[in-house]
Amino acid sequence: MTRTEFLKSMDTMLELPEGTLTGSEKLKDLEQWTSMAVVSFIALADENNRVTLSPRQLSNCSTVGELLELAKVEA
Amino acid sequence: MPSHPLDLAGRAILVVGASGGIGREIAMLLSELGARLIVSGRNEERLSETLGLLSGTGHRIEIADLAESERIPQWIKSITSVSGPLNGIVHAAGKQVTLPVRMTTPTNIDDVFRTNLYSAVMLAQGFCQKNCYTQEGGSIVFISSIMGFVGKSGISLYSASKAALSGLCRSLALELAPVRVRVNCVAPAFVETEMLKHLQDLLLPEQFEALKQEHPLGFGNPRDVAGAAAFLLADTGRWITGTTMVVDGGYSAQ
Repeated sequence: MTRTEFLKSMDTMLELPEGTLTGSEKLKDLEQWTSMAVVSFIALADENNRVTLSPRQLSNCSTVGELLELAKVEA
Repeated sequence: MPSHPLDLAGRAILVVGASGGIGREIAMLLSELGARLIVSGRNEERLSETLGLLSGTGHRIEIADLAESERIPQWIKSITSVSGPLNGIVHAAGKQVTLPVRMTTPTNIDDVFRTNLYSAVMLAQGFCQKNCYTQEGGSIVFISSIMGFVGKSGISLYSASKAALSGLCRSLALELAPVRVRVNCVAPAFVETEMLKHLQDLLLPEQFEALKQEHPLGFGNPRDVAGAAAFLLADTGRWITGTTMVVDGGYSAQ
């Protein structure tokens, strides 16, 4: 899955209009970034990239771009 | 009637999901109470460890993957052809997934229900075959979960599968009462097992502490759950069927 496709999946997951997320967004500014979104992101990374993540790892990320790096999404 | 109401001497009991956690502890307690055990699971090495922890003699292991539920009745036949009729079965194998409903697919549903529910139905079917249970009847215990009664965000599939076990046990209890086979569930909250240690590694320290605080008596230990299962399997449970025994340290009292 490309970076663009992954971002689109995150848009859907967070119920944002397609094309909203670019990677530079700060997670603290995203009201949709809830504990349930954390769990959803973990499932997304596992399903699409076979990367196993934990909430603890995600808590160290401050931007969407850092989440993508953690999920090994190609730049 | 044995001299001690929890005495299981001479009883043959199959424990599935006995390679660790609650299932292993149940097997250990039942062996201490005198039962002869068939312990089952997928991992031979871990099952052998369980076997080494059992008291008494005459126990054996059976490697099996319950996800292949179609094969369970025949598997029970083959076990009883060697061990003789069973007095009881404990289903302690389970699958827990954290998956928001927006991310859930029918494959996920099938996966969780195959391990948690389909296997329970087929174990009951296997047990009630001719010559697979004793003439006196028997006892089936499903390890359910308090999550079948109360909700927690993100685990709807797991909750649904565990709630289904309680429904299953009520109707099965009526269906099998004429042949004196009792069917019950034990519903624990969070118990200190390897699974909980894994969860602790995943959660932030404050999240894990909050989870602990939800248990007025603290986290349980596997023996707390094993005691309830033993009670339902022994003569202490002879007039109990179709019910779910909640063992949750007060989790659901709030």
